[in-house]
Amino acid sequence: MKYLFTGGGTGGHVYPALAIADEIRNQQEDAEFLYVGLKSKIEARVAPERGYPIRFVYSRPFPGYLSIWPLLRFGLSLGMGICKAILILLWFRPHIIVGTGGYVSAPILLAYGLLARVGLSRAKVFLYEPNARPGLLNRVVGRLGHRIGVAFEQAARWFDMKRVGVVGHPVRRQVIDVDRCQGRQTLGIEPEKKVVLVFGGSGGARTINEAIVEALPQLRQRADILVLHVTGRYRGTDYRAVDDTAQQLRQLGLDGDTADWYWRRDYMDDLHLAYGAADLVVCRGGAATLMEICACGLPALIAPLSGQTDDHQVANARRMEACGAARVLYQGVRWINGDIKPCLDSDNLARQILDLLADEPQRLAMGRIARAQPTLDSLELIKVELANLAAGLRPPPLNLDFPEPEEQLPEDPNALFRWVQKRLDEKDQGRQVTDPEWAYLQYQADRLLASTAWYEIPLGARNVGVKLAGCLQYRARLPLLLEVLQDRRPLGAWQRLWGGDYRHGGILRRNVVEFGLRFMGVADEPVEAALIRALAEDPYFEVRAAAARILGEQHAGSGAAEEALVKALDDRSGRVGIEAVKALGRIGQDPDLRNYLSRFYLHHNWQFRHAVVGALQGLLDRQVVAPEAIAADLEQILATSPYFKPEFPLKESLQALAERLRP
Amino acid sequence: MIYYLGTYLQETVEALSFLRLVHSISFRAIAGAITALVFTIVFGRRFILYFYRAGQRDVPRQYAGMPVSVNQAKTYGGGLIVAAIVLSALLWGQLHSPFVLICLAAIAWFAGLGALDDYLKVRHATSARGLSEAAKLVLQLSFGLFLGLACTLKSVSPLPPELATKLYLPFFKNPVIDLSWGYIPFIVFTVVAIANSVNLADGIDGLAVVPASFVVAVFGVFAYVSSHAKISEFLIFPFMPGVGEVAIICSIVFGACLGFLWFNSYPANVIMGDTGSMALGGLLGTVAVLVKQEFLFLIVGGVFVGEAFSVLVQEKIGIKWLGRRFFERAPIHDHFRMQGLADTKIVIRFWIVAGILALCGLATLKIR
Repeated sequence: MKYLFTGGGTGGHVYPALAIADEIRNQQEDAEFLYVGLKSKIEARVAPERGYPIRFVYSRPFPGYLSIWPLLRFGLSLGMGICKAILILLWFRPHIIVGTGGYVSAPILLAYGLLARVGLSRAKVFLYEPNARPGLLNRVVGRLGHRIGVAFEQAARWFDMKRVGVVGHPVRRQVIDVDRCQGRQTLGIEPEKKVVLVFGGSGGARTINEAIVEALPQLRQRADILVLHVTGRYRGTDYRAVDDTAQQLRQLGLDGDTADWYWRRDYMDDLHLAYGAADLVVCRGGAATLMEICACGLPALIAPLSGQTDDHQVANARRMEACGAARVLYQGVRWINGDIKPCLDSDNLARQILDLLADEPQRLAMGRIARAQPTLDSLELIKVELANLAAGLRPPPLNLDFPEPEEQLPEDPNALFRWVQKRLDEKDQGRQVTDPEWAYLQYQADRLLASTAWYEIPLGARNVGVKLAGCLQYRARLPLLLEVLQDRRPLGAWQRLWGGDYRHGGILRRNVVEFGLRFMGVADEPVEAALIRALAEDPYFEVRAAAARILGEQHAGSGAAEEALVKALDDRSGRVGIEAVKALGRIGQDPDLRNYLSRFYLHHNWQFRHAVVGALQGLLDRQVVAPEAIAADLEQILATSPYFKPEFPLKESLQALAERLRP
Repeated sequence: MIYYLGTYLQETVEALSFLRLVHSISFRAIAGAITALVFTIVFGRRFILYFYRAGQRDVPRQYAGMPVSVNQAKTYGGGLIVAAIVLSALLWGQLHSPFVLICLAAIAWFAGLGALDDYLKVRHATSARGLSEAAKLVLQLSFGLFLGLACTLKSVSPLPPELATKLYLPFFKNPVIDLSWGYIPFIVFTVVAIANSVNLADGIDGLAVVPASFVVAVFGVFAYVSSHAKISEFLIFPFMPGVGEVAIICSIVFGACLGFLWFNSYPANVIMGDTGSMALGGLLGTVAVLVKQEFLFLIVGGVFVGEAFSVLVQEKIGIKWLGRRFFERAPIHDHFRMQGLADTKIVIRFWIVAGILALCGLATLKIR
């Protein structure tokens, strides 16, 4: 029997393939294997190490957006990959092809499709789909598979029911079988140490690496701690996991001898040993990782990767949190080098780790719940599927029905914003928001703030993030919002020529004031300074108007604010002047204000005069000016009839009747 | 139909020879306008009540901080205009004239498109759930393409073949350039742009309908001039026989607009909705193409051009690209609203501007 495995790119696709292969190799002496993957990816190293011969093809992820050059590169590389895959298939002539998803498996599967059509391949294809919502490739090539094994029932709806089987996640036997003593002995860890295993999936995770290193000084306070940190070997243009982590350690002065409390590894092939040794895990929220953790019964702090398809890592993590097996550390944002970057809050990470290490019963309870999560004996099921395929048997079709999916957050940012507003209204009416839900809502604000879609569409996701942060009164993000408000990096010359100003566009800055600062209601020094600065020098009229309004509403008794508002009376935009007049009416303390306001008694815009009358009322109410001081002004204010309220006697009486009939 | 009846009777019955009046374009134009006007005024109230009973009520547009429509005025008023125009055109037009057929096709197509949009909005009870931008655009473009082919293909074009693809500018006697096949995309653009600009201007009671009536009046005069051998020679216009039927259509639209204003004046009993604004806009665009005075719309329809331009600048350049607003609100009449001008004041000022622009347009008859 000849088996061809393909799939990869990340550990999530490679390890299931290898787990299946191991299982077959243990049972069938005569089985032949070939792994097909990409030279630059993890499978190129892992598969040969496990003793599987590997061949390489070419492939690229689908660009996801329609742009000529990426599409061309995608097409070219896939075409070459398919050609090579045809040669591989003709040379190896597999009986069974196992594809575990990811763009890496595209060339082989498409080549198989071509060959099968002309009758040159009789192989049977088994596709494995690890996610609840299938990736693009598996959705496209799903019809090529003779059988499709899905990890979650929900994924079945994308495929032909006659060919789908629910198989769960294959977890390596080593992971299932590992025990604590063996793990600690092999790794050389003393039994009394508390081991925290930190890793960010097969590639490594920037946010987790940075946060854990930052948290080290706090963690060190606990004498018996051992942080086992697997950085991953990610190397990209913006981040290199190994080098950048080393550099960060140097900066913190932690590059000396840390052997008794902090171990750093680039990569661990024997991660199952670390699982065995660990008391607590900090990890990503990929389905494969979580399944391994459940199989080992480990308590976990999950820091899910944000912005995946359907945000599925976050969904996975929340499912674990809801049943009590883990806690979620949501990805936050931070102002770094003039832009908003995703990060993980290191203080929170350190606090949670220390908290859980100190609370042994809690930790054990979490581990027990994790182990109790239903897991299928996935390898056994897949083995049966493959045997059926080889024998040409067809299991009966699945009979699943899909009730409507649980309430999902809207994908469109503006719809999401309305949804959150509705939820907040419900909260006001008494439907409580629990702490985890509140953290999740705040995470939504962070997720949108971190979005770079804003570069293309100024009013994109980031704008909604700003609004959300305000509505949720997310005070931890106040410094970041102030940075956005005062960000003075200019747009390109061409855009400035048309009236653009800064990269964080006018409407975004307006919303920082209008939503962020207003709803948070913080009236401290930096906020006031930022508002006064915005009022004085922001080039966009809506920002200045909003700043004037908020100064008036929230900064009573501040001399500086009053001074800035008086200056703003001369603003070149009437809207700003009007807001400044209103604000002065609210907070003005200077008895001479009447002299400033009297300039507007004959202003051509009635809204100015209207605001002045309101402001005089305010000054009288607060006894800043004496009634006799402005009594003579009544004659001076130009009172035109600029507008009229339409009067609809019929509608009004109908309304009165309606109120009697429908109380 | 009256045209055919009158011709027949005048030829057969001696005593009715005065009916040769029906050959006079000016007579039919005035009669058509009065018919449309009377029709709208007489049937308007019943029409409004009919749709109110049928539950087709207006969905006010909602803007942040803007007064929403206080009148529960009924949409579908556009149907009234369209019905009046079509009826009067059937009565007084030369139905075998390709000019009339093209104009009727424009009205039917754009009114249908607008009605679909209105229907969806009313059904979903929100102005955000109408026809999608793309769908609207495709439907408008397809009519533009039809009109472009109808005007430029030598075998079907009602225009004199030597003029069909020539481009005229106001203030110039002679055509400035022969666009040949490039005239088709130009026509498509003209029709789509004009239709949408009228659609945008329709935001306050009476705001769109009066400037639209000024525009059709001016185009009617131009059509009449072009169709008249002597006057066109005197004013040095290209002579286009048969285009006088367009003058009749213009006159009918003028009458229908005034009749509609009877009910639409502030505070309105009925608003035209997309049905009316699309139909009027599409027809204006078609007429501008048929009398070969596309650029005249920039002057005469200055109100619509300004409204469309403000939206373009605000949405596409400002909000989408630069992340800022240039006006407090767009279209520009909403900006004036935010500045504190009363609705009626804005409307009447727009009428004044439209009137002055119409006079400027008429001035180009002689100043060339």
